[in-house]
Amino acid sequence: MSEESPGGTSRGWVSWLERRINLTEIFSFLTHFGFVYTPVDSSRPVREVVRELATEPVPSYTRGPRILGLLAAILFGLQAVTGVLLAYYYRPTPQTAFESTSTIVRDLPAGWFIHQMHAWGAYLLVAVIVLRMLRFFWDGLYRAPRELLWMSAVVMAWLVLQLDFTGRLLTWDARTYWSTVRGLEVVWALPVVGPILAFLLGGRVVNEDVLIRFYVLHAMVLPVAYAAFLYVTFGTLRRVGVSLPPVGHGAPVTTFRDHLYSMAILGVLLFGALVTLATLLPFRYMAQADPYHTPAGVRPPWYMLAPYAVLQGLPMPTWITGLLLVAAAFAVLLLPFLIRTDHEAAARRVRIGGVIVLSVWTLLSVAGAMLDRTR
Amino acid sequence: MTEPARPTAPSRPAGVDDSSRREFITWLSRAFLALWGLGAAGAVAAYLKAPERGAGVAERLVRVGLLDDLQIGEGRLVRHGVTPFYVVRLDATRVVALSAVCTHVRCILGYDRERRGLVCPCHDGRFDLAGNVISGPPPRALQIYPVSVRAGEVYVHV
Repeated sequence: MSEESPGGTSRGWVSWLERRINLTEIFSFLTHFGFVYTPVDSSRPVREVVRELATEPVPSYTRGPRILGLLAAILFGLQAVTGVLLAYYYRPTPQTAFESTSTIVRDLPAGWFIHQMHAWGAYLLVAVIVLRMLRFFWDGLYRAPRELLWMSAVVMAWLVLQLDFTGRLLTWDARTYWSTVRGLEVVWALPVVGPILAFLLGGRVVNEDVLIRFYVLHAMVLPVAYAAFLYVTFGTLRRVGVSLPPVGHGAPVTTFRDHLYSMAILGVLLFGALVTLATLLPFRYMAQADPYHTPAGVRPPWYMLAPYAVLQGLPMPTWITGLLLVAAAFAVLLLPFLIRTDHEAAARRVRIGGVIVLSVWTLLSVAGAMLDRTR
Repeated sequence: MTEPARPTAPSRPAGVDDSSRREFITWLSRAFLALWGLGAAGAVAAYLKAPERGAGVAERLVRVGLLDDLQIGEGRLVRHGVTPFYVVRLDATRVVALSAVCTHVRCILGYDRERRGLVCPCHDGRFDLAGNVISGPPPRALQIYPVSVRAGEVYVHV
């Protein structure tokens, strides 16, 4: 490998490092989790690769519904940063969880801000991931050869919901504690999953074991799994190519450099939106959770309201409801293999079916929200 | 898995022996790997299984307190592990103990002194002091625990 780049004015430390370690390999390792949509040749020097990448034409990701994937990536990064910051002071035991959260929120400089950013970031991340899945469905992006993209989008939606569900318990606040208890009612009804979880959580009562298990899942296991599926997403994207907009809309193409700039702008805008929400509409907290006192008017998490309504409202055994839920979840995951047609008429029917399912789900969610007394 | 074509062993007249031995060893190593996997999975599952708390045998008999401290008509919540319960004094001699966990979605019930019953704060389910459902969504009656009074002290058998 020639150590002097043809440009001549190479920075000293880059070439110093490059003689000792393959920088392009490190760069390509990072790009496996995003940013670059083309393969990187790790046998070439890093500066050359980056220079070439910067001028490469890419479909504009910051226009139209494509923005959702990028928003999810930026939000996940923000959640990781704020989550690590919160973890420095948080103590996951029933005696200290609420207290340490109060310390972060009340006593530490900017603690409330980081906490609210994390809470609102989670809210937005769930929304963005769900919207992204709906967009994939609407545009038929689950069809061959994009099956893996759809499946990893679905699995990432599951993971984000689990991250949200495990995260809301951690404050050990009365509202979130009882919200978790209510949500777990849905989980227990699921066949196979419910009993396994009850085995792992040591029963069906939310106690100190559940708290630390949720903490480990929230802070370690689920984020790593999420990163793995980020890799699947970008690995598939590099192989099958990004989806092109429909003919007639024009093909917004930019260079990679511009793409990075618009991503930075998007990141700043998103940060601004989060700061606004965190400052003007902060999440309120009640008091430390008491496992022996249930406050009135606490609902399960919003994404669990529909199955909750079915479980509580319909007069049928819980295992049938659970079986239906699991079947529905797997039907969504395996959608590309269930719908194999490419006809326009069939695609329209599938869309209409999706709209019907979504409206039923929304109605059930409203019904689930009405189930609980609001005093 | 398909076996690649092997060069014929010159010293062996029949290749059948050799290939069946190879198959056997392949099978054996896979079986060992599977056993190892099962063992590892079992060990991890056993490690991950959460300990059950508050269900010890010694805690089956719960001392609630002096009978004289309980006023007639008063309900007291006893925070006993995963089975919290209410102790209610009905009159001079009779004391009942009822589970404080709603049979609907496991909310902790509240004691309604005026109507002499238990009320769920979540879905307004109501129970009388015999544990029967009066109104609301709960599907089953509350569990009743036997109570004994010895030397002026109230004990509940959970």
